[in-house]
Amino acid sequence: MIGFELSGVTKTYGETTVLDHIDLSIEPGEFLVLLGRSGCGKSTLLELMAGLRTTSTGTIHLGQERITGPHQKIGVVFQDSSLYPWRTVARNVELGLEMAGTPKAKRRELARAQLDLVGLPEVAQQYPHQLSGGMRQRVGIARALALQPEVLLMDEPFGAVDHLTRLQLQRDLLHLWSTERRTIVFVTHDVTEALLLADRIVLLAPGPGHIAATWRISQERPREPDALRTVHAEIHEHLGVPQTVKGIG
Amino acid sequence: MSISSRPSRIVLLVGRLVLLFGVLAICELLVRGGIVSSLYLPAPTDVLVQAWQLLGGGSGFYMNLGVTLREFVIGYLVAVVAGIALGLLLGLVPLAEAFFRPFLAALMAVPKVTVIPLLTLWLGLGLGHKIVIVFLFCFFPIVYNTIAGVQQTSEDHLKVARSLRASRVQLIGKVILPSAIPTILAALRTEAAAAIVGAIFGEMVASKAGLGNGLNEATTLYDTPKAFAFIILITLVSVLSVTVIDQLERRVLLKWRPRRSLR
Ligand SMILES: Nc1ncnc2c1ncn2[C@@H]1O[C@H](COP(=O)(O)OP(=O)(O)O)[C@@H](O)[C@H]1O
Ligand SMILES: [Mg+2]
Repeated sequence: MIGFELSGVTKTYGETTVLDHIDLSIEPGEFLVLLGRSGCGKSTLLELMAGLRTTSTGTIHLGQERITGPHQKIGVVFQDSSLYPWRTVARNVELGLEMAGTPKAKRRELARAQLDLVGLPEVAQQYPHQLSGGMRQRVGIARALALQPEVLLMDEPFGAVDHLTRLQLQRDLLHLWSTERRTIVFVTHDVTEALLLADRIVLLAPGPGHIAATWRISQERPREPDALRTVHAEIHEHLGVPQTVKGIG
Repeated sequence: MSISSRPSRIVLLVGRLVLLFGVLAICELLVRGGIVSSLYLPAPTDVLVQAWQLLGGGSGFYMNLGVTLREFVIGYLVAVVAGIALGLLLGLVPLAEAFFRPFLAALMAVPKVTVIPLLTLWLGLGLGHKIVIVFLFCFFPIVYNTIAGVQQTSEDHLKVARSLRASRVQLIGKVILPSAIPTILAALRTEAAAAIVGAIFGEMVASKAGLGNGLNEATTLYDTPKAFAFIILITLVSVLSVTVIDQLERRVLLKWRPRRSLR
């Protein structure tokens, strides 16, 4: 297990500052949720951590290593799974292994194991357009896991699926995390999702992006959203959208 | 019964056949009855006889067919390989694309038929002449579509590959090229037809053999039925070539695509 250390991370595009001096320690094995309304810089921050963009100033370390580009210990799951439509599901999962030069037989085997892990052993030979949105996200997760990363960075991975599927995916993700205890950084704009998943919620606020508040959620999982009403209200307060109807349920 | 209700397939088919044979029968009657000279309009039955004779090897048909196909295949393949290569290069190197864009646009704008006489002067009447014409008829659209295909590569797909630590070569081979393939194939299909036009047209303007040459001869001799027979057979060759490429596209290269219900 391995953690992140962000210090003084700033990102500017020309004149505009998107992220301003982010300091954040992510502990090994932590499930950290980055929460914030859209446009506040969540994806930018996640992609900086993934090494897909470079910081303007400040540094990001994974364990002892400075992040300067995509790293083999980091797996990324994107918002829409971005599977390659011209590849079968199995070959999508194998993509990273191909890049790494893993021999074919070994790739097959590892891809199958990942598909089993995300609960989709039977769709290996299908094409992405034949899958539902939820299944595609599972494949996206399997693809990221195939290289056995120690850290999983997830950018609103369940944002585009229906409510019930999302609940299922959240539950399965927690299960996956509890068995292997990878460090997870999970981006969302959904307060309830953050409350169900996180060890710690980091609230990102815009103008320019900065950490506005953090909450540690120590309640046992699986969690009941109701039991977290107070935090929920507090977060909404911070987001500037106070809940008008209090005490439902 | 409402107007919008669709007629059954059988009714449609029968209707079409009635129309087709009706028109053919009228032509036949007009010519046979001496109302229209067979010089202008051939009797369909005469066309049929001519086509049959050609298919039986008359007028050196298979030799001519071979000549045309050779011109088409060589010119087209060279254009495909060179067009995709240049398109990839320009698509992948934006600076080169920006530099060469006006030149390409100017060359593309030249109506290709205008250079055929000059090509005859330079290259004579033979195979080389036709290959160059075929090449010119289909090269530029292939280049353009390849560039467009490369540029259409999804940012997200590239991001995925980078996060999986793809090398530059892997980015091209595993992401950019597959992304461009549908657009390239669209050009290969339309340009196959253009290539046939190039071959036939080149033969009609200046040649010693080929289907276009045969057509020209028939027209010059006022053998209208034979000219029609050539037109029909050339059309068949063109349709067949495009079909071959179509099948290749659907069965091999694009088998991952969702089948569209209307096609
Ligand atoms: N490549 C870029 N160039 C300029 N501005 C960008 C770029 N990428 C993101 N931004 C800006 O940064 C801000 C944060 O974007 P993003 O990180 O996608 O937010 P979020 O994921 O929280 O919705 C937005 O205002 C966006 O316009
Ligand atoms: Mg985002």
